[in-house]
Amino acid sequence: MAGSALRRLMAEYKQLTLNPPDGIIAGPINEENFFEWEALITGPDGTCFEGGVFPAKLIFPPDYPLSPPKMQFTCEMFHPNIYSDGRVCISILHAPGDDPMGYESSAERWSPVQSVEKILLSVVSMLAEPNDESGANVDAAKMWREDREEFNRIAQRIVRKTLGIPT
Amino acid sequence: MSDSTETDENNKYNPGENQDDLILQQHRKIEKEISESIALIGNKEALSSLESEYSDDDIYRQKVQDLSNKYKSVRRTRPDGNCFFRAFAFAYLESLLDNQQEFAKFKDTKNCSIRGGVNLGFPQFTLEDFHDTFMEVVNVVGNGPSACDELYKLFNNSGYSDYVVVYLRLIASGQLQKEAEFYQNFIEGCRSVLDFCHQEVEPMFKESDHIHIIALSSALNVGVRVRYMDRGDSSEVIAHDFPEGSKVAVHLLYRPGHYDILYPSTS
Repeated sequence: MAGSALRRLMAEYKQLTLNPPDGIIAGPINEENFFEWEALITGPDGTCFEGGVFPAKLIFPPDYPLSPPKMQFTCEMFHPNIYSDGRVCISILHAPGDDPMGYESSAERWSPVQSVEKILLSVVSMLAEPNDESGANVDAAKMWREDREEFNRIAQRIVRKTLGIPT
Repeated sequence: MSDSTETDENNKYNPGENQDDLILQQHRKIEKEISESIALIGNKEALSSLESEYSDDDIYRQKVQDLSNKYKSVRRTRPDGNCFFRAFAFAYLESLLDNQQEFAKFKDTKNCSIRGGVNLGFPQFTLEDFHDTFMEVVNVVGNGPSACDELYKLFNNSGYSDYVVVYLRLIASGQLQKEAEFYQNFIEGCRSVLDFCHQEVEPMFKESDHIHIIALSSALNVGVRVRYMDRGDSSEVIAHDFPEGSKVAVHLLYRPGHYDILYPSTS
């Protein structure tokens, strides 16, 4: 089982290295273990996360790609779809039926033809357009809806922090 | 399935815990129990092995009786939501072991070429992996009847077996999308065919319905006869052939929520 997962992860890594999507770098933390990756995601232009470089960890299950990986930001984050411990909560990280969160039925789900690249691109769109219906971080969802200015201020502070600029 | 050592204390609602995670954990636990107790594809058993399951149920006993007039054995599959696809794949490939002419024809079909897969609209990069593993398993059939054990072993190795299931799911999905206009009529609610494929066909462990069976059997041009054994009035176990009027190559037994493989008495 883990043999086919390893083969697939190596192929995905190669693909991501040869054709990296804009603003995304990802690969195994240590080439001895292909089941733990680090990703660096650039905040999308024209959003409150613009300019930030956000590190995250991806952990792959032994039966990947039948089951999806888990993803967790390792820097401070404040976003409606990210738990306070950094775990990312979007539909593509769940197989259909695996979601007590109750995502919209039309939301994109995990299936074995999805890929790391698709996940990371979905995370970039999630940063640009939070879904305030699925509240992994209820405070962030509420502030996004009711006090956008304050939300943007916090996001900007986090952006500066990821760049090592005094906040 | 419940763990008797668990006390009430442990089952109390604790708002501090992530309930979603707990539900998923429980799902995993049930799945693990199933996977530890039932093989992906079981051994061939005499049809009478079904009788013991229904010793105190007249309706079902009568139906097993009817079934035993038509079929001599049954092969059970693991009830993990993939049972239709896995049962279909094993039963069909097993039938080709003795029918190398049909096997050669099958290998020539577009679904056995990677080009065909890409034409279904899936990214070549993720598709290749599944296609290659699928073909590895298919090629075993070329060794003839003596390869039966090898086929059985591969189907019980989840690394191969699950990849075969994924590939067949993609073929079914491709067929649904190709004839979306027709299949749209069978989809409940306001979901599009594409959404249906993404949510009910392509993901692993999602159960199969008529629509999956029609799509897969038409795409591969392989006839499937499903015997429906339920609580219905008739004393006969009703059969449906997919696609309608086709030459039947695969016989399956359906009991609510699950498919197993049947072997007719005549062959």
